[in-house]
Amino acid sequence: MISLSDVTYHYPRSDSPALSNLSLEIPAGQFCAVIGANGSGKSTLCSALAGFVPHFYRGKLTGSVEVAGIDTAGSSLAELAGTVGLVFANPFNQITGARFTVREEVAFGLENLGVPLAEMEPRIDEVLAFVRLTDLADQSPYALSGGQQQRLAIASVLVMRPKILVLDEPTSQLDPIGSKEVFAVLRDLAATDEATVVLAEQKLEWVATFADRVLVLHKGKLVADGPPAEVLSSLTLTKYGLEPTRYTQAARAAQAAGWRTDETTLPVTLEQAVEFFR
Amino acid sequence: MSATYGLYVSKQTAIHRLHPLTKLTYVLTCLLIAWIVPGVWAPYIVLLVGIVPVALMAQVFPNVVQNTIKTTIPFAISLFIVQGLFWTGGTIIQQLGPFSLKEEGLLFAIRGTGRIIIAVSGFLLLSYATRSDELMLALSQKGLPSRISYVILSTLQIIPRFQHKANTILDAQRSRGLETEGSFLIRTRALLPLVFPLLLGSIVDIEERAIALEVRAFGRSGPKTSLLVLHDTNRQRLFRRLLILVSLGVIALRIYLWLAPRFAA
Repeated sequence: MISLSDVTYHYPRSDSPALSNLSLEIPAGQFCAVIGANGSGKSTLCSALAGFVPHFYRGKLTGSVEVAGIDTAGSSLAELAGTVGLVFANPFNQITGARFTVREEVAFGLENLGVPLAEMEPRIDEVLAFVRLTDLADQSPYALSGGQQQRLAIASVLVMRPKILVLDEPTSQLDPIGSKEVFAVLRDLAATDEATVVLAEQKLEWVATFADRVLVLHKGKLVADGPPAEVLSSLTLTKYGLEPTRYTQAARAAQAAGWRTDETTLPVTLEQAVEFFR
Repeated sequence: MSATYGLYVSKQTAIHRLHPLTKLTYVLTCLLIAWIVPGVWAPYIVLLVGIVPVALMAQVFPNVVQNTIKTTIPFAISLFIVQGLFWTGGTIIQQLGPFSLKEEGLLFAIRGTGRIIIAVSGFLLLSYATRSDELMLALSQKGLPSRISYVILSTLQIIPRFQHKANTILDAQRSRGLETEGSFLIRTRALLPLVFPLLLGSIVDIEERAIALEVRAFGRSGPKTSLLVLHDTNRQRLFRRLLILVSLGVIALRIYLWLAPRFAA
């Protein structure tokens, strides 16, 4: 579904690559989390999947990025729109400003794709229910809270039925309640097997609970790749500027004090921590 | 806060239900007649016959009156002072110390004020009774590029947000000890720390907004559809054609009146 082979990318006027010899395959239906410190290349990877690298940011891209069978470099943003959906950090800037209600905002992408009206309405109702915004459908998008606006941004992209959904730190500008609401939607998304999702995220405890797979980027390179329990509990995480979850930290402290020293996989979620300390 | 549509006043009247193009054509025809039909009182007749009844029917008459007066008064005052008192030549009707009030100047000011009143009240009436997104959709269906209608619609919504952001920056700078009140000099000096963050922040916003639009297939060519549905009737189409005929007739009349004396001479 997603295939990167030997991708190296330089932003314009930059000597160091933002992505460096990156190769990876993400099969359809997988919920894949990308973690890494600031400047590790998470956002650049997201932009590359949606075609904004190189079509929007320019710069130099070598290697190939293929999403849903389309080579992004040989395609255009207009062609990719609808196939790859992108949601980014600032919820406010994702509102078009040209529509006056939540429902019309969701419709914007469908209107541009030329989806007939009869098909539009049920699709909008469906995504609004999915992100739990049905009650706010007739409100102004600007009247919503940050968390609601971010769910609106997700709905506006999901309604176009993209084959791949890319989320670039969707909760980094939200308060804890807003983040929780957005993660609830992402959890539902992970539960459906059809969605292929790439989520760049800093909040490892959330990632641990619903990602199928975790990729770790460091200085534009892929340095770890595997199931969350394995990657997130790894000792090397701190080397890449990442802080392990508090469950892992607590378990390590307990091991240092002599508790269950034989255990090799440390907990990364609350449930696993309960099991570990039982 | 429920959805707001610029100046639009939500009412269930026959005028509100009309197709946006019907209202636009009507207001433009009124404007044209008021501006090019000769005679000092022409704009006022159009106002009484064309604008006032429709404003009453749309139940926005008080809003139109209030805001037309507010907008027109500065123009009217300057017109009356400049044209009334400083008209060269002409008949003096009243001597006011060193100044003399001229009849021709006064009539010119009355006519000019009338034209401004018609323009302002006409567009207010249109804005109060028509949702801006419906008007833009109607114009898009007539071939207005979607980029232009996007710019107009988003500006209507983004200006209030821009003001909000400016206030946030102002508060932030004040809390760091920036003086923003006092003499003209102090206030001018306070402008720079306000303007730069606002402009730089907006450039970043524009980049993200461009990405958000591309994600939503805004750049795609080909036919677009619309969630909004505009209701048009044969009667309204006929009415609009009639209005265009009237406008053309008025223009022809004006050209005739302009040319006739030249040929006669």
